[in-house]
Amino acid sequence: MSKHSENPTRGTRTARTAAATLVLATTLAGCGFVNTGGGDGSDGGTNGTSGTVTAYVNTEQSAGLAPLVEAFEQETGSTVDVSSATTDELNQQLRVQLTSGTAADLIRVSPGSSSPVAAGVLGRADELADLSDAGWVAELSEDTRSLAEVEGEVVAFPVSRNAIVMAYNREVFERAGVEVPTTWSELLTACEQLSAAGVTPISTPFQGGIYLQFWVYALAATLVYAENPEIDAQMAAGETSFVSDARWNETFARIAQLNDAGYFSDGMLGIPPDQGLQSVATGESAMVLLVSAGLPQLYGYAEGGEEAFDVFALPANEDASSTHVAIAPDFLAVNAEAENPEGARAFLDFLARPENVEAYADEMGVLPGLAVDAELSSDALEPIMPMFDSGRTAGYANYLWPNGDVQQTMLQSGQEWLDGTIDTPALLEQMDAEYARGTS
Amino acid sequence: MTTVLDRATASRADDPGPRRRRGRRAVVPYALIVPALLFYAVVVLYPTVAGGVYAFTDWNGRRAATFVGLDNFVQLGTDPAPRSALANTLLIAVSTTLLQTLLGLALALALHTSLVSRNVLRTLFFAPALLPPVIIGFLWQYVLTPSGPMNDALSAVGLGALTQNWLGDPSIALASVIGVIIWQNAGLTMVIYLAGLQGVPEELLEAAAIDGAGRWQRLRRVTLPLLVPATTIAMSLTLIGSLKLFDQVYVMTGGGPGYATETLSVVMYKEAFVSGRYGYSTAIALVLTMIVFAFAFVQLRGLRRFEVDA
Repeated sequence: MSKHSENPTRGTRTARTAAATLVLATTLAGCGFVNTGGGDGSDGGTNGTSGTVTAYVNTEQSAGLAPLVEAFEQETGSTVDVSSATTDELNQQLRVQLTSGTAADLIRVSPGSSSPVAAGVLGRADELADLSDAGWVAELSEDTRSLAEVEGEVVAFPVSRNAIVMAYNREVFERAGVEVPTTWSELLTACEQLSAAGVTPISTPFQGGIYLQFWVYALAATLVYAENPEIDAQMAAGETSFVSDARWNETFARIAQLNDAGYFSDGMLGIPPDQGLQSVATGESAMVLLVSAGLPQLYGYAEGGEEAFDVFALPANEDASSTHVAIAPDFLAVNAEAENPEGARAFLDFLARPENVEAYADEMGVLPGLAVDAELSSDALEPIMPMFDSGRTAGYANYLWPNGDVQQTMLQSGQEWLDGTIDTPALLEQMDAEYARGTS
Repeated sequence: MTTVLDRATASRADDPGPRRRRGRRAVVPYALIVPALLFYAVVVLYPTVAGGVYAFTDWNGRRAATFVGLDNFVQLGTDPAPRSALANTLLIAVSTTLLQTLLGLALALALHTSLVSRNVLRTLFFAPALLPPVIIGFLWQYVLTPSGPMNDALSAVGLGALTQNWLGDPSIALASVIGVIIWQNAGLTMVIYLAGLQGVPEELLEAAAIDGAGRWQRLRRVTLPLLVPATTIAMSLTLIGSLKLFDQVYVMTGGGPGYATETLSVVMYKEAFVSGRYGYSTAIALVLTMIVFAFAFVQLRGLRRFEVDA
């Protein structure tokens, strides 16, 4: 009897447990915690059959792409679903998205091996699609191709190229009677004149270190890469290093010279970038070294807008004809696990048309990503175009460093160096130590 | 009779009995919390344990993780960055815990009066604690820039000699961060003490006064001993929060200038999301968790010994 009375109870308990489990599973699925596997990608909101291309880009790219996305959608009838974030946020999130299989079809990647989500790093891990057969590959300049290529395969498309330029306040220069410097000694003279006129010669918003790196890359373009294009190969082979290479030492010595002379902003390590740009716009400072993509922000701070400023290439030595400009491609790549790889490639082909390359560059005030015949309506970068046209350019130094930690150390320890806590050899040795850790 | 006996027997057989009824009643509450426990296990426990495993691997977010034993912990012991960050973290924790507790207590005592404006003042002092830490960070980053409102205000009142590069000078940047943290959270400590002060019996204070105790003696001999439970709560919350400090530091200084304000949480974040060393970052997280646990445990045990009943 007791046996009979227990069996129904156990059965009831089992049924209740099953029911509770079902309810819980349903509830969690409703909340989105459980993947029910019901999505087969055939509904209108997914890729593949609907012709939707997803893209995850940085905020600058998003602004430049907006009109082209619209044109592409009208022409093809497909949809480009663009999400954006600042470059820092994007770099931090993209790694997780790729790992979890939730990354978009088109993604913004850094050039070379400069971060854990750089073209070189992701390309070596087979996480980017091979785009070598695309028609626009023939339009890649040599320096861009070296950063877009991994083991013989082109894995990234350059939507534009940025240049590091010195932007100056025209009125401040005129009031102080300063001519645009073309050599290092002329730059020092200009700084002296500006200082005598009661103006901070160079705005250096070094809080966070981002603007410090522009100085290193801009000077290295002339002092290091123009003189020894093989420096990266030599460093990778262990034949030289930051601390043992005289050119790298000279690069940092130039920055130290300006700092020691008092030509940089007071309290520079506490000045955020936006305030540094504002000080140039208001005439409190005369000039600031920045990437060309930052020019629209600078213009926005001045009543006169673009007309209030002009740019020049940062001279690094006494031979004006040897001054090089540091440039960097801004890449898009196709996720190797893209749900709509054909759509993503088609969109890149669309962007590669000369009129669209031109439209993007005009919209953003940047250099064209591909070496196509483009007539730019903005003359903001006109002063550096001769260098660009004659090939006097070099990529940002960090792009061919083996990992992002070399740059991170340069930025953080660089602040200690500017403050006088460590000397130049100590800084360069720290960078060498990170370099020696190899590829990330 | 037989029928009656059979019914009685049947009734006893159907009745599970008082012990079983009690057992069923006891099971119900546990059954009701099962969904919540399952949810907690899925959302908190599993990720925590699964994440902890990565501390013993070299996972970089891309390739499969390889077991590396205690390598990450050995590196943690030799790496200068985490060690300097640990020193900063402990300095922040100790100083904010002490200063914030003292300031919160002082504010509570000052506002536990019949002052007409006390409610307005309580609200004003508590308001910063309600703001998101990131907003506080951006706000103070602006206020503390060399040409920002802080230096302007000092100059305006003739204290120009005291102007500083608050966040850009490595020798004072950490103190500036500590100041901001205390400014934000002192109001919260004040509220905890105000609640504690409500529990101090008026008759005890009156009795002490009748016995001739002055204000200072009443505070020292009656009020403060009865506020020890509030102190325990306030100090524990402050200590745990300051050991985990991330948002304000990351927004205001990013850990700089140089490494001057880097905390363990900032290093952990950079290692994972900037450098892609998730395994190493998880090892830092585990160590930080143990540090927080150890400090909180010791502090709680220590303070509870001083608690007294009213």
